[in-house]
Amino acid sequence: MQLGIAVVRGRSMLPTYRDGDRLLVLYGARVVRGRAHVVDLPPGPDGPRPVAVKRVTRRDGDGWWVECDNPAEGVDSWTVGALPESAVRARVVTRLPHRRTG
Amino acid sequence: MLKRLFAPTIEVSAHCDLPCGVYDPAQARIEAESIKAILQKVAEKPDDQDFKTRAAIIKEQRSQLVKEHLWVLWTDYFKPPHFEKYPQLHTLVNEATKLAGAGGTKASWDVATADELLGKIDEIATIFAETKKA
Repeated sequence: MQLGIAVVRGRSMLPTYRDGDRLLVLYGARVVRGRAHVVDLPPGPDGPRPVAVKRVTRRDGDGWWVECDNPAEGVDSWTVGALPESAVRARVVTRLPHRRTG
Repeated sequence: MLKRLFAPTIEVSAHCDLPCGVYDPAQARIEAESIKAILQKVAEKPDDQDFKTRAAIIKEQRSQLVKEHLWVLWTDYFKPPHFEKYPQLHTLVNEATKLAGAGGTKASWDVATADELLGKIDEIATIFAETKKA
């Protein structure tokens, strides 16, 4: 298991995580239902999708069902279906406190 | 040692495939307003056949755009939870696209048909706005 930092880009996890938030993530950690994770989404119509942050909401067959916290925006299992086990890379441990700038 | 403990910092996407907010029933509404304006202009010049021919062509194109905007909303924006919450949504999209087709503004020269279409689009827009707030 490895710790790492992930910087959030985009609005699909509002109100939980905002663009620019820094998350402490644990690679190779056990998947915990209801918690946010760093996941690989399947390629889209325009090619590969970037590594994403999504909430794992339930088991679906052999995989995990992931959703955005902001239902109005973003790609999640409602669009791409459940993700295989191997697509869940890391679990979000916590959001790091904001560094106040200027 | 620290390297083994700490992975490199990465960026994680919380994006849609396209810039967020590209879907909006307002797009269909603008085209439907154009159709209504065409119908009103034709009604003002009942004897100008050339004008009516051109109006028919433009009205056909605008009607098709209404259908396409609504289809994109239906396939790409609305998700199963929305259809569960608004069971009338499938029928609503079906009726609205029909009203922009041969059974509606493509064939009709009646301004009332355009008003009907605008009404249906507004019903979809109301649901759309509610899902955006959710």
